[in-house]
Amino acid sequence: MKLTLPPHVSGDVFQQALQAFERVVGKGWVLATDEDRDSYSDIYAPGPETEWPASAAVAPGSVEEVQAIVRLANEFKTPLWPISRGKNLGYGANAPRMPGTIVLDLSRMNRVLELDVGLGYCVIEPGVGFFDLYEHLQRAKAPLWMSVPGNAWGSVIGNALDHGIGYTPYGLHSRNLCGLEVVLPDGGLLRTGMGAMAGNHSWHMFPSSFGPDWTQMFTQSNLGIVMKAGLWLQPAPPSSVMLTWDIPKEEDIGWVVDTITPLKLAGVIDQNVFIPSWLGKIVLKGQRKDFWDKPGAIPESRVQELLQQYKLGYWQVQIRLYGDDAVNRAKAEVIKKAFQKHLPVPPLEEYWNTGDPVSQYDVTVGVPSAVALQMGDWVGGRGAHMGFSPVVPANSTHVLGQLHRSRKIIAEHDVDFYASFTISGRFATNINMLMYDRDNATQVANMRKLFNALIGETAKAGYGEYRTHLGWMDAVTDTYNFNDHAQRRLNEKVKDALDPNGVLAPGKQGVWPAAYRTARGGTA
Amino acid sequence: MIRAVLFACLAIAALHVHAAGAPAAGTPAAGTPTGGPPPPPPYQMRAQLPPGDRLAGGKDGAAVFSNRCGACHLAGGMGTNMLIKMRMQAGQPPQSALLANRKDLTRTYVKTVVRHGYLAMPRLTRVEVTDAELDAIAAYLGKGGE
Repeated sequence: MKLTLPPHVSGDVFQQALQAFERVVGKGWVLATDEDRDSYSDIYAPGPETEWPASAAVAPGSVEEVQAIVRLANEFKTPLWPISRGKNLGYGANAPRMPGTIVLDLSRMNRVLELDVGLGYCVIEPGVGFFDLYEHLQRAKAPLWMSVPGNAWGSVIGNALDHGIGYTPYGLHSRNLCGLEVVLPDGGLLRTGMGAMAGNHSWHMFPSSFGPDWTQMFTQSNLGIVMKAGLWLQPAPPSSVMLTWDIPKEEDIGWVVDTITPLKLAGVIDQNVFIPSWLGKIVLKGQRKDFWDKPGAIPESRVQELLQQYKLGYWQVQIRLYGDDAVNRAKAEVIKKAFQKHLPVPPLEEYWNTGDPVSQYDVTVGVPSAVALQMGDWVGGRGAHMGFSPVVPANSTHVLGQLHRSRKIIAEHDVDFYASFTISGRFATNINMLMYDRDNATQVANMRKLFNALIGETAKAGYGEYRTHLGWMDAVTDTYNFNDHAQRRLNEKVKDALDPNGVLAPGKQGVWPAAYRTARGGTA
Repeated sequence: MIRAVLFACLAIAALHVHAAGAPAAGTPAAGTPTGGPPPPPPYQMRAQLPPGDRLAGGKDGAAVFSNRCGACHLAGGMGTNMLIKMRMQAGQPPQSALLANRKDLTRTYVKTVVRHGYLAMPRLTRVEVTDAELDAIAAYLGKGGE
């Protein structure tokens, strides 16, 4: 990819900045060839990768180096796009929002700095991946479980900072962060929470502070660069049981949610409960062309044939319980009784005890895997995906409303419907997975149109996305419109106060610093 | 995200990995001590990266490959699972999905795929795999010559 300079920066100044970076990190850790720029582009880009081009990348190896780079970025007015491991697939991967931004690649900073088995936490750097942490826990024989996302190739901190979710009782990943160390936009260093007191022993235990706590301010944010984080881990349970139901009809999602949510609020169910639709199971059987060889959406009549032929429900519910075996069994009875009111078929029950093997692909037991990315094979070619991810209250009224709305819009665009609802308590995250072949221009154009329609119609109905691709960050931010976009205006005010040169991640989550505010507006 | 697909892939992956000679999901590995859990499969217990300057040459290619590529390309990993399907469709044995078993890969081919990507495999940056590390990986996998 040819060089796209950052806005308002000349070629000479850009080169001077890179040379200054090299003096900090060493020549080998500043990358600025055409091939390097290609490697920092979105591999799932819904359109040309050149829409979100990086100009270069710099990879510091320590907090001090990050501070030095940030100070130089202020001096040369060269904006930085921090990434942890750059595996935010479906949301932009390692590419920057604003063309010409220099990627600040933190993946070299990959140490597990502390592990406390008794109190169940670790302190890690941003380059620590889920695989790295899992292996560290295994080598230490630490009786602690992680919570992992479907694609666990990425960074533990990066995923938590982007509000990622997993499927264990620790599945709300940003909530597991306790005590951050952050480089601020002027190069200064801050510790959040109790870490604000030098040498405080409770830094990674107490989730608040004396006075305001700024921890969550640095999630989905461009106000600082997280250098280390305390991360809570789940004590390994002695036993576990998984209950699995196939749920026959589409409309059944209503009673399913109304059954699960009260059990979750009452503490009978601890985990985030994931409920995927049928398409997730059909991919087990082959590629799309094996079931429907026409370009448009698989028609409902064919869907019903497939469900019958392969003996599948429209949805699948899997609930895992963790803890003492007797307690798990008692909870399982409560849950089974609640389901039986609607579905006479008993669930599949799978019991597990310490020492038993665990499935190497079961995210509900916190083992990392990247096999979810095999979904790319469904459409064939250079398969890619984007997720449309609104959050709705976890009851039948809202869930069915959301289902019907997105179903209609997706059908109008002649695209296969593949959705899931993850119940996390009072809310459910609805992921609508949109899969496409990157080399099919018509398909990509249709996906972009569909994505715009979904954002617009869903917002009109009173729901917003919790996370989105680079190309739609402005569009989604615009939907958060209370009092003439008061939140965006506050974000901008804070951004300008902390980052007057706008050097950290301009445009991240639709927050543009004054220096680049005219760049607002999606390329999508 | 996308756990449904994950589950959909499990049976395929388990079958294929089993065919490749590694334990299937949920089955104890051979040699498991009585009463203890089996060790994680290879792709979830990679070798540690050799210590020292990552930009310097002379690394142990097998260890670098395991650490940098293993999450996908050791037994049980996503890349291995997808390659099993491709290799078998091409009339090749499933064991050839493990890159270390291949005799036909050249060093140039390995480097090209890492830097330019291939189908589902993304390009890797020179921070994720340095040029020196790629030389070591290519020397380890490139049994087909230069």
